[in-house]
Amino acid sequence: MFFYLRNPKTVLRKILTGLILFFLGAVTAYLTSLILPWFVDAFWGSHPFTPIFIMTIIFLVAFKPIERAVKWFLEKYFFHKKSYAQWTLTQLAEELKTNLDLQELSNLIVNTLGEILHLKTVAILASDPLRGSFEVTSAFGWPLASPRKVCLNEESPLVKMIHRTGPHVLVREPLLKTLTWQGANDLARDFDQLRAGWVIPLFVGDRLVGLLALGAYSPDTIFDKGDFQFFREFAGSVAVCLLNAQVVRGLKTENFELQDSQAEWFQKTKMSAIERLAAGIAHEVHNPLAIISGKAQVLLMQKNRTPLEPHIEDALNVIVKQTRRAADITKKLLVYSQASKAPRERVSLEKVLDDTVAVAGYQAMHDKIEITRAVDPDLPLFLGNVQELREVFLNLFLNAAEAIGSEGKIHIELRRSPEDEVIEVRFSDSGKGIAPDDLEKVFNPFFTTRHDAVGLGLFVTQQIVHRYGGAIRAESRPGEGSLFVVQLPLSKASSREADEESRQNDSVLIRNEG
Amino acid sequence: MKKKLLLVDDEVEICEFLRSFFEDRDYNVATAHSGVQALDQVEKFGPNVVLLDIQMPEMDGLTALRKIKEKYPKTKVIMVTAVETQDRIEDAMRAGADNYITKPLSLEYLEKDVQEKIESLAGA
Repeated sequence: MFFYLRNPKTVLRKILTGLILFFLGAVTAYLTSLILPWFVDAFWGSHPFTPIFIMTIIFLVAFKPIERAVKWFLEKYFFHKKSYAQWTLTQLAEELKTNLDLQELSNLIVNTLGEILHLKTVAILASDPLRGSFEVTSAFGWPLASPRKVCLNEESPLVKMIHRTGPHVLVREPLLKTLTWQGANDLARDFDQLRAGWVIPLFVGDRLVGLLALGAYSPDTIFDKGDFQFFREFAGSVAVCLLNAQVVRGLKTENFELQDSQAEWFQKTKMSAIERLAAGIAHEVHNPLAIISGKAQVLLMQKNRTPLEPHIEDALNVIVKQTRRAADITKKLLVYSQASKAPRERVSLEKVLDDTVAVAGYQAMHDKIEITRAVDPDLPLFLGNVQELREVFLNLFLNAAEAIGSEGKIHIELRRSPEDEVIEVRFSDSGKGIAPDDLEKVFNPFFTTRHDAVGLGLFVTQQIVHRYGGAIRAESRPGEGSLFVVQLPLSKASSREADEESRQNDSVLIRNEG
Repeated sequence: MKKKLLLVDDEVEICEFLRSFFEDRDYNVATAHSGVQALDQVEKFGPNVVLLDIQMPEMDGLTALRKIKEKYPKTKVIMVTAVETQDRIEDAMRAGADNYITKPLSLEYLEKDVQEKIESLAGA
């Protein structure tokens, strides 16, 4: 099992190392026995293999430097340049060509290099053409706590040096010796940042696409300067792969940006077209309506001086009322068209409810409608637009009041459902209820059961709720009343911040735009 | 105090019915149909209160509002407009408008508001 997992050459290497060590052990034991025969006789008895065996063990365990020297000897003269490490790296270079993900590629390079070459640290830096800098995309052997955001720019001494020396491997110590004290100091800082003993520049043609920073070797790694040629070739392959991955990443980013800006632009122009249309309609319709309604009002207000005939007064009142109804439609359209860009802030829904009841509750009290409320005391603030939320509450309130008519109850509940992270707004009324057939139509635009209503209130409400990613539903039993439930999801940020804020400050202010 | 009111709207009809309405209530009324005319009238006529439309030829109401408030900060300006958008309301309020009313108008409310503005001037 052990052998199968290894490269055959590694096994051969182990056997050879063992044999040489055994041979050395045997020779040493034999020489010892010649020089000091009494030693052997006194301690080990007469069997000739016992001392040889023990000496080999001593060599293996205690004389690591000898083992290293033996290994080096083997690598150098038995395996020549085709060492396992280099063979693996050549394979790696092939593999890299098929990988176009910059991050995966970087991880693969540093981990393989680190393990195969027994390096303490390896880091790969890729150039970011937009910023003109080189950033560490992956690192092996760096302490987890250390910042990986090491970044060199074109002005860094190391990068300048590379531009001067070209694709040669830079080795820290000999290089520093060639420089002045100040120059060496600056350059050493770059090497230290990268925890590097060597730096291999990654060039494609004249273009520096990245750097490989290799830390000092573990002492038992076998390398000599003859390997530099191999590294230059390897670095060439890695550089091409890196460049490809960078190009792919650049294309992806550009594509995403393009898609984003397209979506944004589309949204913007779409909304502004609708908004322009709504504003245009409002302008063109509201002016004539203002004239019609205004003239009727002028006549009505003159009635103190010149009494009007009752049917004329009635007609004038109808004119004033109907012009207001027509204007309501365009106002709702306008609210709907511009709501998407309504600025959002953290709003206390309880305060919105207070405002709604203050505005609309007067008529309700007049009509003997009892209003009760249950508000969760820990209700978080909601990130939304006050106007929009008021529109929601007001429409639900008016809807309930209209369903009741002149006498009944409206119960409003605000609560947080923590498992779904939503705020639930519940309006229940004791009104006439909704026929089952109508129940699914109540949110349709221009749907109404009343002859004097427009039928946009619940539609606009639903549109606003959907804009917040929320849901609205209606439940009803004819004759018993209806329940409207709005669920507004708390965004993670808003609920957390809101929690903190409401803890710090119990009295919450909201901007009042009236 | 003489109640002087300037009505500014490019819709002549609107100016006319408002004029008859306010003249009935003992206001001294002048009219203008563009921002430029409005500035001119503010100068000559010296109104206490201006009812100012926004969407007008030559110079729009917001620009006129800024210029009026710059020269005559005491003059009360009520924006009377067909289009109510949050942006416009905020723009107008920032430029110093004293109120923002949308068409169609409730004359009752409008009169009350104009009356209040004049009283606040008299009190000051």
